[in-house]
Amino acid sequence: MKTTKKPKRAAINSSAAHVFDVLRNVCDGAEPAGVSDISRRLSLTGSTVFRALTTLEASGYLSRYRNLPQFELGMMPYLLNRALLNQFELTAASRPFLQKLAWETGETVSLNVRLGWYSLRLSGIYGSRDIYHRDRLGELALLHQSLAGRAILAFLPEGTLPELADFLQKELGEKPAPAEWSALQAGIDLARERGVHAEVLQMSPGFSAVAIPVRDHTKTAIACITINGPVYPSETLQAQLAIRDDLERLIAATPERFVSPFAHIPAHKMRLQIPRTKLERDEFNRK
Amino acid sequence: MLPVTLGIENREQNKAAARILTVLSSFASNIRQFGISELSQHLGMTKNMVYRAIKTLEEQDYVIRDPAGQRYQLGFRVLELQNTFSPEPTFRTLCAPAMQQIHELTGETVSLTVRAHDFTVFIDGIETRQPGVWRLQIGALRPLHVNTTGHVMLAFLDDEEIEQYIRRHQHDEPAKDDMPLDPDLLWQDLHKIRRNGYATALRPGALPMLSLALPIWDAEDFLHGAMSVGGPNERFGPRFDVLLPQIQIMMQALCQRTRLYSANAAGSEITL
Repeated sequence: MKTTKKPKRAAINSSAAHVFDVLRNVCDGAEPAGVSDISRRLSLTGSTVFRALTTLEASGYLSRYRNLPQFELGMMPYLLNRALLNQFELTAASRPFLQKLAWETGETVSLNVRLGWYSLRLSGIYGSRDIYHRDRLGELALLHQSLAGRAILAFLPEGTLPELADFLQKELGEKPAPAEWSALQAGIDLARERGVHAEVLQMSPGFSAVAIPVRDHTKTAIACITINGPVYPSETLQAQLAIRDDLERLIAATPERFVSPFAHIPAHKMRLQIPRTKLERDEFNRK
Repeated sequence: MLPVTLGIENREQNKAAARILTVLSSFASNIRQFGISELSQHLGMTKNMVYRAIKTLEEQDYVIRDPAGQRYQLGFRVLELQNTFSPEPTFRTLCAPAMQQIHELTGETVSLTVRAHDFTVFIDGIETRQPGVWRLQIGALRPLHVNTTGHVMLAFLDDEEIEQYIRRHQHDEPAKDDMPLDPDLLWQDLHKIRRNGYATALRPGALPMLSLALPIWDAEDFLHGAMSVGGPNERFGPRFDVLLPQIQIMMQALCQRTRLYSANAAGSEITL
């Protein structure tokens, strides 16, 4: 993991910048980390890491793991994340609609919004069944890498896909494989035809989770409702779409209210390091 | 290897970084944007200190300028500060620091309660070490009308919901030491709680006990639950007027955090 480069006209000294490097390193870890782990991973001295950990613990950004000299994320980052999600008017406004869908399907229902070239899980109502998906609010994924993101992509203007490919190549240094891109295009075409994007669930063969785009008054997707359970194909899809239509009518009535708080930031300037999932972490460790 | 009981002393901290983190923490509320002067006033730091902290945070996209370019809002990079392996805070962990603070301030028993249909449930608490302990029974169910936390939960329901509750329980046989439900007295107390923002009760007996309960608000002006503190009236009573404003400030700080979460029973965003 790289440490922060000191800007030419830095507002703070470099050791203060290292505090954020240490924080991000703890965020990225699969297990609580101690001074020596972090010091090795960031190539920083033990005393710099120790002071950073002490500062972060005192400020509520890290907390001690089971009274050991190891640290895990504290409460403050979660509160900041939550505050950021609440900045979107859609978070609160969508809740009654998600609740209706959760009641009808018994499954976990989420609202994801577009944030630059990422999808962000903004709001969710958990399913009423004994076994349900407890997805994390604030989850991020590149648009082409999640069910919700692909549904949003399907209902963005023509020419968006090449722009995404350009972002991946220029900003993240990732060139999408042609086969992956063809499959994505085919999925998008099918979603446009059906009006929803569906993906087969491994644990429920023959049935799919579904992502329903939420569009603004210009019919551009700004968000997406996902129903995380075996709900497609279903005879009640029209009823589910009707609930989405009600949300779209609410957005169309006062579109300025639902503009993203990050709408003034160009999409290519929003580069985010997506927290690793367990699978990715295992794969990373194997390599 | 570091000692297990690593102390947090100021000299061990990076002061500049601590200031930056303090400024960033100010954004952990439902207030969306801040100006430099507001932050300076709110945090008791000089404008220059706040400006330098904000600039650092802006350089790293943890805060960004608002669309008008005049004020600052949380930046998108805050979303990187997550760990998919560790659980989000629960309601109990969110409330734990405030519970500890109130216990340290008063020296009395503090408890955390949530509502389960027509009952209150004690889910956490700290018992006093002083004589005359108000016993905390975690998991104990009490009807809403019999204790101060229950009154707080009732007070902030719709009038119709309260009437329905009264109709359901008006003729219940009271448990030992509990008073029967008197609708007029209950309504009087609920109106008083709505006016004051807290509930108090003096429970008679060989050792009269005084209790105070305050609401814990959610993002949509519903209640997550209530916090209560109480002890023998002869010990807690004489200090009550001095302690109340300090407890209220602690609860305001707590509610700034709990208001970030919705308590919606159908799909609560926060676990107990």
